[in-house]
Amino acid sequence: MLAADTLTKTFGARVAVERVSFELGRGEIFALVGPNGAGKTTTLRMLAGLITPSSGTVRFRGEATSGDMAALRAATGFLTETPGLWDRLTVGQNLRVYARLHGLPQPERAVDAAMDLFGIRDRAAEPTAVLSKGLRQRVALARTLLHDPAVVLLDEPTSGLDPESARDVRELVLRLRDDRRAVMISTHNLDEVDRLADRVALLNTHVVAVDSPEALRARLFGARVRVTLADAAAHYADVLRGAGVTDVRVERHVISIGFSSDAPRQTPAIVRRLVEAGADIEAVEIEKPSLEQVYLSLLKGDRP
Amino acid sequence: MNMPRVLALLGKELLDLRGRPGLFWPSLFTGAVAIFLPVFVVVLIPAFTGERLSDSSDLQLALGLYRDQPWARVLDPESAIQAVIFQQFLVMLVLSPVAAAMSLAAYSVIGEKQARSLEPLLATPISTFELLFAKILGAFLPALALSLLCFALNLAVAAALARPGVFLVLLAPRSLGVLFLLGPMAALVSLTLAVCVSSRVNDARSAQQLAVLVVLPLTGLLVAQLTAGFVVTMPIILLVSAVLAAISAGLMRLGVALFDRETILTRWK
Repeated sequence: MLAADTLTKTFGARVAVERVSFELGRGEIFALVGPNGAGKTTTLRMLAGLITPSSGTVRFRGEATSGDMAALRAATGFLTETPGLWDRLTVGQNLRVYARLHGLPQPERAVDAAMDLFGIRDRAAEPTAVLSKGLRQRVALARTLLHDPAVVLLDEPTSGLDPESARDVRELVLRLRDDRRAVMISTHNLDEVDRLADRVALLNTHVVAVDSPEALRARLFGARVRVTLADAAAHYADVLRGAGVTDVRVERHVISIGFSSDAPRQTPAIVRRLVEAGADIEAVEIEKPSLEQVYLSLLKGDRP
Repeated sequence: MNMPRVLALLGKELLDLRGRPGLFWPSLFTGAVAIFLPVFVVVLIPAFTGERLSDSSDLQLALGLYRDQPWARVLDPESAIQAVIFQQFLVMLVLSPVAAAMSLAAYSVIGEKQARSLEPLLATPISTFELLFAKILGAFLPALALSLLCFALNLAVAAALARPGVFLVLLAPRSLGVLFLLGPMAALVSLTLAVCVSSRVNDARSAQQLAVLVVLPLTGLLVAQLTAGFVVTMPIILLVSAVLAAISAGLMRLGVALFDRETILTRWK
C-alpha cells in the first residue's frame, strides 16, 4: 500500500533519516520504534507528504509520489504528535473545516459519522479548549480519519493519555486494521507495540531491524520453555542433559530449556521425559523476553 | 486554486475571530477618533470661538486647492471648507481598521505554529497559495467591514452635525475611491506583507513590527494632504490603487515562493 524506498533526509549537515526502506501493507499495523531523534517523526512526515525526502521515494500503491505531494496528503491520514486543534472552535467546527479542506462531497455527514465513530457526538458544540487530553486525542483521530484514508500514520497516539484513554485509542487502532487500512504507529511504548503491531521497525536514523515482534524475539533470544517443578530442579536438569538437551538452565524449582528451533513442537517430549523421571510439574510456559529486552539488545548491537 | 478549500479555511479564520472580539477594540477607538476629529474642527471649535471656518485665510487657501472639484463650486465657502476637512480625515478613517487586521495577519502563520495546529493543516491537500490567500482574506475582510462601518458612522455624523450638503461630498467619486479602492488596496498590501512575514519569522512580534512599516507611506500621504497642500485626486487614487494591487500580487507570489513548509515544521519551536 505505502512503501518507503531508501528514504534519506538531511537537514544541513545532519542526517535525520538514512536509506530507510520498508513496506506497509493493507490491514497491517506497523510500528516504528527508536530512541529520541532516531528519525521517526521525520519518516512519518515524508510518508505523509509533508516534507520531501532528500533522496529516495515514497510509493503509494506502487506509484512514486514525488511529483504530487498533495495527492499523497489526500490519500493519507496523519495524526500529529499533538492534537493541534483550534481551541476557540467547537469540536464540530474543527471537523467541518477539515471535511471541507479535504473536499468531501457531504461534509456534514462525514463529520457526524466520525463523531459517532469516536463517541464525541455529545461534545460537538463544546470548544476543544475545554476538553480533556483523551477527548482531544479522539477529536484529532476523528479529524485524521474524516476523509477515509487508506493509510493512517499515527505519531505517538497514546503519549500522555491516561490508561483508559490509551486503551480506547488502541481499540480504535485495532478497528482500523479490521477495516483493512494500513496503519503505521510511531511510539515509545513497547508494551503497546507488543499488543498491536504486526511488524515493528527499530529506527536509529537507519533501520536497525524490521520484523514481527515474535520473530525479533526468536532472532535475538531463541526459543525457550520454562518448566516449574514442585521439587528442587537440579536433578531433573541432569536428566534432561543426559537425554541430550544441551541448553538447560536451573534456578531452584525452575528449569529453562533453550531450543534452536520451534519450541512448542518440542515441549511435549521434554515434559514426557521429566514426568517419566518422576517430576511433579506445576507449570510449563513458553519463555517470552519483553520487547524492551529485544529493543535494548538491538540498540546495543547497533552502537558503533 | 481550489476555492472551496480557501473558503473552508477562511470560515475557520472568521469563526476564530468571533472568539476574539477584543482584537478590534483599538481599531474601533481609532476609528471613533477619526470620526470625532473633523466634528471637533468643523462644529465644536467654531461654536466655542464664535468664528466661522471660512474666516480663516489658511482654510481658504486649502479650499483653493479643491476649486476644480464640482462640489466646491456648488457649496457655499463654509460648507465647502467643512467638506474639505471631512475628506482629509477619510484616509485615516479607512486605514484605522488595518492596524487590528495587521496583528491578525502577522499572527496568522506563526500563531498556527505556536498553537501546534499548523502541521495537521499542512497535512491536508491545501496548497501554499490557498493557505496564504485564505489567511490574507481572513484579516482583510474584517478590516474592510470595519472600514465600511466607520465610514457609515462618519456619513451619519456629517449628515447630522455638518452643514447641509457636506455629507454628499463624502459620497463623491473621490471619497468613494478612497473608501473602496485606495484603502482596501493599501490594506491588502499591508496584510499580504504581514502574512508573508509571518511565514518567514518564528516570532509574531517580529512579523508585526516589520509589516507595520508599510503603513508609513500611506500615513505620509495623509500628512502631505494635511500640510503640503497636496490633493489626492481621482487619477492619483486610481494610479496608487493600481500600483498597490500590483505590489500585492507580487508579494503574494513572493510569499508562496518563500513559504518553506519544511523549515516551518522542523525548525520553528
